[in-house]
Amino acid sequence: MRCQHRARLTLALLVCTAACGNSERSANGVASKSAAHVRAERRAYDGAPPVIPHDVFSANCTACHNEKGLLVPGVGFAPNMPHAKTVGVGKQARCTQCHVYRKTEETFRDSLFAGLHQDLRKGRRHHVFAPPVMPHATLMRENCQACHTGPAAREEIRCRHPERTRCTQCHMERTTTTEFPPAVRRTD
Amino acid sequence: MSDGAGRRTFLKTLAAGSVVAAFGCDSKRAEQLADQAVPAGIDPSELNWGKAPCRFCGTGCGVEVGVHKGRAVAVRGDEKSPVNKGLLCVKGYHLPGFLYGKDRLTHPLRRQPDGSYQKISWDAALDLIAEKYGAALDDHGPDAVSIYGSGQWTVFDGYAALKWIKGGMRSNNLEPNARLCMASAVMGFMTQFQSDEPMGCYDDIELTDDIVLWGHNAAEMHPVLYSRMLEAKRKRPTMRIIDLGTRRTPTSDYADVYIEFRPGSDLAIANGILYLMLKNGDFDKAFIDKHVVFMRGIEDVDEIGYGCFGDQAERYTFKDKGRRSNIDELRTFLADYTPEKVSAISGVPVAQIELLAKIYGDSSRNTLSTWCMGVNQHYRGTWMNNLITNLHLVTGKICKPGSNPFSMTGQPSACGTAREVGTLCNRLPADMLVTKPEHRAKCEKAWGLKPGTIPSKVGYHTMDLFRAWTRGDVKVMWVQVTNPWQTIPNLDRIGRNWKDDQFLVVSEIYPTVTSAVADLILPSAAWIEREGVFGNSERRTQQWNQLVAPPGEAKEDAWQIIEVAKRMNMGHLFPYTDDNWHEEMYEEYRSLGLGTGKDLASYEQLRGARGLRWPVVDGKETRYRYTAGHDPYVKKDDVHFYKAKKYGEKAAFWLRPYHAPPEEPDKDFPFWLCTGRVLEHWHTGTMTRRIKELHQAVPSAYVEMNPADATALGCSEGDVVRLKSRRGELDLSVVTRGRGRPPRGSVFVPFFDEGRLINRLTLDSMCNISKEPDYKKCAVSIERV
Repeated sequence: MRCQHRARLTLALLVCTAACGNSERSANGVASKSAAHVRAERRAYDGAPPVIPHDVFSANCTACHNEKGLLVPGVGFAPNMPHAKTVGVGKQARCTQCHVYRKTEETFRDSLFAGLHQDLRKGRRHHVFAPPVMPHATLMRENCQACHTGPAAREEIRCRHPERTRCTQCHMERTTTTEFPPAVRRTD
Repeated sequence: MSDGAGRRTFLKTLAAGSVVAAFGCDSKRAEQLADQAVPAGIDPSELNWGKAPCRFCGTGCGVEVGVHKGRAVAVRGDEKSPVNKGLLCVKGYHLPGFLYGKDRLTHPLRRQPDGSYQKISWDAALDLIAEKYGAALDDHGPDAVSIYGSGQWTVFDGYAALKWIKGGMRSNNLEPNARLCMASAVMGFMTQFQSDEPMGCYDDIELTDDIVLWGHNAAEMHPVLYSRMLEAKRKRPTMRIIDLGTRRTPTSDYADVYIEFRPGSDLAIANGILYLMLKNGDFDKAFIDKHVVFMRGIEDVDEIGYGCFGDQAERYTFKDKGRRSNIDELRTFLADYTPEKVSAISGVPVAQIELLAKIYGDSSRNTLSTWCMGVNQHYRGTWMNNLITNLHLVTGKICKPGSNPFSMTGQPSACGTAREVGTLCNRLPADMLVTKPEHRAKCEKAWGLKPGTIPSKVGYHTMDLFRAWTRGDVKVMWVQVTNPWQTIPNLDRIGRNWKDDQFLVVSEIYPTVTSAVADLILPSAAWIEREGVFGNSERRTQQWNQLVAPPGEAKEDAWQIIEVAKRMNMGHLFPYTDDNWHEEMYEEYRSLGLGTGKDLASYEQLRGARGLRWPVVDGKETRYRYTAGHDPYVKKDDVHFYKAKKYGEKAAFWLRPYHAPPEEPDKDFPFWLCTGRVLEHWHTGTMTRRIKELHQAVPSAYVEMNPADATALGCSEGDVVRLKSRRGELDLSVVTRGRGRPPRGSVFVPFFDEGRLINRLTLDSMCNISKEPDYKKCAVSIERV
């Protein structure tokens, strides 16, 4: 229950912060975390499946995380999935194979792991007028709209032309893999 | 960041997923977005990506690891890998985190008389090990030394250990934890085909019509393969998934049919299917005549025992004796397995037994049987392996794309190292045995050793090894990449006595319950901190390069072994150059299997490939063994079991009866206890618990219980109860609404939690042939605390 309470509170805070605008603190005086911080906290690195930031609401995740996403009054926005439908929808989706709940805030042992967190403000493009290059692979992220348009889209990566749906016509996926250099031979 | 707090807050607000933001964002403003709480960004184009197989289960998913400034910072599923095609599970996605726990072991540590550990140098540590092994050999002979390794060993580690102990110290006391995991599958394939490992491969998932999962929760334990099954079914709705289990799991949730049976009664069910197929005329007589012989072994339960009672509790060496049988004897034998009788034993409705017989007997549909720990960790595990394969042999549903018996392995190199290198007390590389003079001679020749160097006496199997250790018969043990003080069943039997003349070395990456009883702890390099080769469930050999440096003074396990061997004047076993010893060692190992049907790909080829399935001949991999058009060793027109010389190059069908479990619930201990893994944790959790996301998802072990049982006990979700068996007790909190739902009278406890050691309760009964212990069946009582 504590977990559910916290999750609801976090979501409520996000909505609240949004509504209050220019304030470091939400209406009830609890310090809120920035959106970028919250985003980083929910995934080990950019590209890792985010953890589920709320308690179990339903056995069927796609009831809320559906094609358009769902605004749940008083709770928050349940975004659409970036995954293509081929991965399995509805009852056949194995969401919890990759996305896990948080049963505790504690850790087992301290960790020095620091994952990739890219600066979303710095996209790469060929020249100043060229369309930005995708910094990630599209596997499991076939549905660009889920993250780049709509209420869940972060400001830095929000698309200015959501009416154009053929994204890959202009934005290229970086398909080449930087192969790791040949084996590092031990010297001892 | 120079932006004012006000703007930051405003922009945070916009980015927070609120509904107020309008579309559109010009690049200038995007640049102004700032947040001090998030670490400075890394440009993804600065990463180097290297390939590796996943470190965790036996699926062998390909991953690409993103390395930035010498540290692993990201992982992505390798789209070029035919195994997972870019998908991973939650453990795979969080791989790099396990390398960076703050308590990584970075220096050799020597236990002091007061129980504390002091840093010592590598030189001192290696000298000490060499001295202890040398003294044990001198004073007590080769039976007193041992190495206990792992299906998570790379090929290099396992091969170095095998060569050192068998060819150097002249002992066969070499065992992997795969004895606890895959030994029954090994003996299943060996008794029927005289060659280990499956004929089929993962491609069968997309080609089959019916998948029958025998007692394994693939949705959690082989999640990516289960995803492939679900995706295949989505594309082809006529495909069916049949889940046989002793409790409902996430696998059952997605299955078309769930069949729940009493623990141990799978033996009766398989025979019941055979009974019905024989009665219905579903046997493929032409295939049987051409490719199958019938065999029958020892069946007397008093003679066989269970490996854990009376004298067998100290030493269990039962050996099966086979004799030729025939189909008429089979008909008489199966008369005991009418659907009604099987239903009475198993609790499975007659209609479901008939359905299974119909599935296996339907020659118009392909059938794939899969299994893992439910079948292998079984007091008659080899028998169960035999019985499942029997279903395929009598119907000819074998060696066909889409129709095969397929055992899934638990560990990333259970096949590649434990089974193929042969790091077991009776084996040598490439299916060879220490008991066969010609096999020993072949290895001695390849290794440049005098004839007669490799001993013919079979060493202790794992269970007897730890019993011998506890008695003090084994004086020195080196444990690598495994955690036996958490995983051996009936754990309290193997306490550490701190006898003066025993010495335990543990190579580890983190402190564990096993390193806590070690005399010497060595820091190991893990996974991508060294070069390696793993072999997965479908015979796929996968190579990776070192991608990051190990922390502190950590060294790879193979190097540790070689350095000790050198100090014992056994350096001649490892005549490799300093700068290319991995490739040279691999090529030497590979030479032992060439031309035998166990041909591995060359190191050069492996470097560039996303793994290759052996036999690899002329650079081409083999999807289906023993099958014309696939296996280059098959010259005949259809199927040829060319490895089974003993059976006239045919496969052996073994008649195997039902035996009751060694311990069943009774008045004093009224519940079945089953143990196992969960999706989020790997084995004893020493790696996955150090990954924040995984630990937070499943922070501790619990007891999964039927809600009706909980009500009857007067407890509810979250209450603490005490589980007691005849061997030990443990307090756990109750879960009644978990991912698994045991039937009444049955509970499940995961074994990953070092703070809650469920193996103090489990029974050390084992398979009579493979000597693999049964972690799935014992009796417990439960009371509120």
